[in-house]
Amino acid sequence: MPQLEQVEFFISQLFWLGVFFVILFTVLTYITLPKIRAFLNQRDNFVKSHISKQDELIKKAESIIENYEAKLTEAKNQASQIINDAKNTAIKESEDLMKAAEEKIQLEIKKTEERVAKEKNTAISELNDQLKDSAANFLSKVTNIEKGNINL
Amino acid sequence: MAKGESPLKQFEIQPIVDINFLGFDISFTNSALWMTITTAFILIFFTVPFLKAKKTNSVSDLYPTRMQVAAELGFNFINSLLADTVGKEGKKYFPLVFTLFMFILFGNLFGMIPYSFTFTSHIIVTLALAMGVFIFVTVLGFVKHGVKFFSFFVIPGLPVYMLPLLIPIEIISYLSRPISLSVRLFANMLAGHTLLKVFAGFVSALGFFGILPLVFIIALTGLEILIAFLQAYVFAILTCLYINDALHLH
Repeated sequence: MPQLEQVEFFISQLFWLGVFFVILFTVLTYITLPKIRAFLNQRDNFVKSHISKQDELIKKAESIIENYEAKLTEAKNQASQIINDAKNTAIKESEDLMKAAEEKIQLEIKKTEERVAKEKNTAISELNDQLKDSAANFLSKVTNIEKGNINL
Repeated sequence: MAKGESPLKQFEIQPIVDINFLGFDISFTNSALWMTITTAFILIFFTVPFLKAKKTNSVSDLYPTRMQVAAELGFNFINSLLADTVGKEGKKYFPLVFTLFMFILFGNLFGMIPYSFTFTSHIIVTLALAMGVFIFVTVLGFVKHGVKFFSFFVIPGLPVYMLPLLIPIEIISYLSRPISLSVRLFANMLAGHTLLKVFAGFVSALGFFGILPLVFIIALTGLEILIAFLQAYVFAILTCLYINDALHLH
């Protein structure tokens, strides 16, 4: 087995193993591994900072949404209030109009009734007079008493 | 096995450049060459994608490139491994576990390339790595707990008369950690590569029916790649567990 027979190369093998292991260890420890670690850390930090930034943005967005919703409900309330007001005023106005119209109508009716009553009275009195007149005519013709002397 | 070539020949070390330093033979061998390739590959693979670091200003800058994702995958894999076994204190030992895992993983994986050399199939290499881990963990235990570290060998809640029997067992099992750690990796690599080579020898020996061992080799190569990953993982997770033991004793 050359591993145990070639004793003359033991020192050479140990020497070069030592040389290359030390070179490898030193370069890896002081140059390569810190570089890789720095690279990974940089990325981790970047990701972390972005996550915190993202959290901030999410919070901001949430507050904006809250604000927006508050404003929206306010606007809705206002709108419904306006609608209610408008309805109320419209109802009131129409009621007023109706009332006024009714009053007018009532007034007209009253007036007409008064006029009718008046005309009725005049008509009755006229009729009365005519009746009296014709009755007087009739009596004067029957009794020959002058018309002016008949007092009914 | 053409012309009696041993299936173990692939583990032979061949010097590329002969170097002699103060009487020590430290020749640059094929083993050292593949250590170079492994080290260079790991450094390029994990460093280059992050050299042009963009400032992340917008979301589109966040998308990593393909290479960055691949490197990140390895990083997060070891990160979670340490977090699961050791916990928060494990972060300090991240570079060590990362280096160990990647060095063994890519050493194993590059060993799967035909005509390459698997330096993790050499007991001296795996033993050196395991001893390094063992010494590191022991020193860490003493630094953290001082003399109290010896209480690690005393299992709590055990009757006193059992201690003379169990303390030596605990000490032996502790001392055998580097051996089991190194032999596990070495033996897996050795067995897998030898098996592949043996069956590869059957392909030419059986003529037309060589297709059968060929199919077997294809399946076995897949298994070997899995083992390459698995052994690196086992080495890393055991290192983590040893670190955890040293930090928390029981």
